Amino acid sequence: MQVEKMGLPTAPLVTIAFVGLARSNAASRGMPHERICFLPHPMTNKSDEEMYKVLEGNDPVSNKPLMPEIIAALTVPLTAEEKKTGSISPDVGPATFSGTQDELQRLYCDNNLTDFMPIILPTEEKVEAMLKGTSHKPDEVIGKLSAAQGAQPSWTFTVRHVAINAVMAGASPEHLPVILAISSTGQPSLFSSTSSFTRMVMLNGPISDQIKMNYGIGAMGPFAEPNAVIGRAWTILSKNLGGCGVPGLSYLGTLGSNFNYNNLCIAETENRLPDGWKPFHVQKGFKADDSVVSIFSGWSLNNIAWFSALKYNDVIKNWLTHFFSFGTGAATVMLDPTIAREAKDMGYNSKEELCDYWSKNTKTPAWLYWDTHRGELKQAQDGVEPYASYLKMGDADIPFQRFYRRGRPGAPPPPDAAANPKSSIELIVLGGETNTYFAGGDFSYVTSASVDKWR
Amino acid sequence: MKLNRRKLLSLIGVSPAVLAGTPAFADDKKKKAAAPAVITQPKLEAINPKGMPPSVALVPMAPRLDSLDGKTIFLVSDGFAGADRFLAQIALWFQKNMPSVKTVYRLKAGSYFDDDPKLMAEMKASGNAMIMAYGH
Repeated sequence: MQVEKMGLPTAPLVTIAFVGLARSNAASRGMPHERICFLPHPMTNKSDEEMYKVLEGNDPVSNKPLMPEIIAALTVPLTAEEKKTGSISPDVGPATFSGTQDELQRLYCDNNLTDFMPIILPTEEKVEAMLKGTSHKPDEVIGKLSAAQGAQPSWTFTVRHVAINAVMAGASPEHLPVILAISSTGQPSLFSSTSSFTRMVMLNGPISDQIKMNYGIGAMGPFAEPNAVIGRAWTILSKNLGGCGVPGLSYLGTLGSNFNYNNLCIAETENRLPDGWKPFHVQKGFKADDSVVSIFSGWSLNNIAWFSALKYNDVIKNWLTHFFSFGTGAATVMLDPTIAREAKDMGYNSKEELCDYWSKNTKTPAWLYWDTHRGELKQAQDGVEPYASYLKMGDADIPFQRFYRRGRPGAPPPPDAAANPKSSIELIVLGGETNTYFAGGDFSYVTSASVDKWR
Repeated sequence: MKLNRRKLLSLIGVSPAVLAGTPAFADDKKKKAAAPAVITQPKLEAINPKGMPPSVALVPMAPRLDSLDGKTIFLVSDGFAGADRFLAQIALWFQKNMPSVKTVYRLKAGSYFDDDPKLMAEMKASGNAMIMAYGH
């Protein structure tokens, strides 16, 4: 679209899986008649010959020959609609809805305003009561929320908007500062990606006990009201305050994720941390008596215990080496306090020391290394070291430490990355100490926000 | 060893009380039998939970070319897998079918969401049109 604005005609090519997304994206950016040409889906696994045949075939949406359509997109004079200027204000419907309890439950559900489970209807009385949970004014603008910043429209929302959605999720006024803090990060729980992102939110500081978050037995399960409703509120408000979660338009996750119902809403078991181990929010620069929410992003989790003489520092090191998912360069490990104490007894005096051990000592399976390092494979074949030696190792694990922050592939590395590499592994302690389990997955830390600010 | 029902339920972690029903539930059943068949629900007013989407400024599209003869078309990949190979086939198609068209392949810098000012400047200076492939 920037190119059209610059005065050059364009023909965007999009696969048929993204018809709704492409058209809504064009409309939300002010060019509802953009001349998009569509291709079969998927294209990535086609051979060059098969791709050429696609060019000789039809656009599967318009059913017209593809190449003439592309040429027409660049050469046929503009229509009056395509030249239009002005502005459009999207309609979000009336300020209130009227009906019986059953009728309104159905209306909210049918209009994708919920997570498709029954809600508490947000009446004026309930929203007023909810707003007593914060000292902030109802009309204060908190920020913006989008299903994908830069690619999807950014909606604006206020304290009152968050309170309405908090009521719907079943939250109480005492939960509101936490939900406001989550919304203040501008992070949606439902991200538009085809990869079915999952988000996680963790509470630290006095707020966890004040609102009775469960961080003991079943810390990640449905065993306490605040864990349930705060996590749920994040998904409901992402839909209503950011336009997220419309399948085919603002949500493209092909498989989706059941985690999105509650977004793994947890609290760290701070009162059972080994001596010297800092709570997560203190690791991120907050004070111990600050109340904080931290946001993580990833896809999946494993839940593991390993009953042998092998110590957990190495059990987890081996798991990290062989753990494979869409996210291959970051991990979050959640330790039951019993494992955390075992690690402390082994001499790991902080979370950072243990994460550093893992980052330094994990390797990368050969297939995964070569599949994600095509340039190095070419160098290995040309005899360049150390890649040539890696290639000679066959299927053995490659001594490449993948859990370091190195920046995005193709982007320049952070200034001090070579001299001072930083572990990309996060460590959380939680659970009820009924057994030596840990959970681990491809979650990476995104950001933290103060809850106290929203009290 | 003989186990009574209460003991068995305790061992599997179920309180025998949950199977006994509650007085409230029993009372409710009695009430249902006597209650009138139609229950009318009162009307409620509930608030629309939607936030504020941005207003959209309409952007006029760029004037089209009279023809592609002798023109330079930039073939731009957003970096998603497959876009580069597909654009190479488009270049081949033009070479075979419209050889007067010059094609220039470029990979847009940054992620899918990012602008690439350097590429924009290059296209403005030396391009006449753009075909962009979004991958997948």
